[in-house]
Amino acid sequence: MPVAARRGDRSSAPHSGALESLLDRVSRGDQQAFESLYTAVAGTVLGLVRRVVRDPAQSEEVAQEVLIEVWRSAARFDPRQGSAMAWIMTMTHRRAVDRVRSAQAAADRDHRAAVHGYTAAFDEVSEQVERRLEREQVRRCLGQLTELQRESVTLAYYRGYTYRETADLLGTALGTVKTRLRDGLIRLRDCLGVSA
Amino acid sequence: MSTVELHTLTGAYALGALTGREAAEFARHLDRCEACTQEVRELQETAARLALAVAEVPPAALRTRVMAALPEVRQLPPAEHAANVVPMRRRMRHRLPYLAAAACLVAAAVAGGYAVQARQDADAQRDRGVRAEQQAAAVSALLAAPDATFHTTALKGGGSGTVVASERQGRTAFLYHGLPALPGGRVYELWYSRDGSMVPAGLVETGRSSGAMLLTGGPRGADGVGITAEPPGGSSRPTSAPLGLLGV
Ligand SMILES: [Zn+2]
Repeated sequence: MPVAARRGDRSSAPHSGALESLLDRVSRGDQQAFESLYTAVAGTVLGLVRRVVRDPAQSEEVAQEVLIEVWRSAARFDPRQGSAMAWIMTMTHRRAVDRVRSAQAAADRDHRAAVHGYTAAFDEVSEQVERRLEREQVRRCLGQLTELQRESVTLAYYRGYTYRETADLLGTALGTVKTRLRDGLIRLRDCLGVSA
Repeated sequence: MSTVELHTLTGAYALGALTGREAAEFARHLDRCEACTQEVRELQETAARLALAVAEVPPAALRTRVMAALPEVRQLPPAEHAANVVPMRRRMRHRLPYLAAAACLVAAAVAGGYAVQARQDADAQRDRGVRAEQQAAAVSALLAAPDATFHTTALKGGGSGTVVASERQGRTAFLYHGLPALPGGRVYELWYSRDGSMVPAGLVETGRSSGAMLLTGGPRGADGVGITAEPPGGSSRPTSAPLGLLGV
């Protein structure tokens, strides 16, 4: 059992892919670079916002805010902290969640309805999804999680619930949900072969 | 919330499932804990993959509106220009990430250790305490060695491990985080890979999910370190596929 040459080595070097160099140009006011970046990420930004916010008009509004925020704060992206895609998606999710967690929106959401709706959170993926392979791989890997891991992860990420709300919805202890979110994501990470 | 509890929040944080106040508290923890920082990075990359899977075709009007807005938006300068203190601090953190990780892991290990020890008799407690302290001191010294090398990997089955080795000090340490308990009293065993064969290098203390330990023997002549799950008491040769392989 000799050790193969440093496979799976996660010592993090700065990310330096196509999106990262586009962001770098964007940070210096390059509109053409932003056009390309927009083409690469807008569909994902909108798709994620739609999962969380639901309402189409509000979703477009939030997606627009996020994309403008990418332009505004591109210089704050640090490639040593993660990939450009992760940076943009973290920002996207935060904005979407801010929108639904505002008091009015929270009152509008019927938790009971959500309990019955959550299994659809992943299945109702639109037919027009561009990244079919990606979708298939994620679906396969989600399928390898335990039911509780999958429910916890999809409720939190695709629906924007806090882990407290998730625990309520699933009728599970807080600590259990905390742990399932973590070990579920770790299993997904390994299944998808993600490194940082 | 205690430090040990905070470590388990990496998943909830990466998924944006903490409230504003909790997220702020955890972000402060991340400033001090490189192990959690690394895990959060990986889990945020993973979450981004969940986002890619639900991509849609955006309406053309969205592009038009976004592009039209740009001339009105003033772009932020890089963070370095905003505050002169930041770059220095960031450089330090970048240079010494594993030192911070070690401090964090040792703190977690010691905290966990005390809880166990409180239930044991005084002699055993003193022995274990002394041994743990010696190990922690040796690990700290190793991390500070100028020739120390670091290799980190996620382990199959969960958790992550970092191998720190110094030829000059003739020592290797294994730092681990989030190791799941093994069924049937099985134990995690470490191995040096030397000349194509695996040499036993010590057992991870059972019942402990995070901590730091020294390997038996030094790194000289080894081209890597492996970790496997073995029957109770450990084995003299690996009996299962490695959960992780790291360079030294
Ligand atoms: Zn931590």
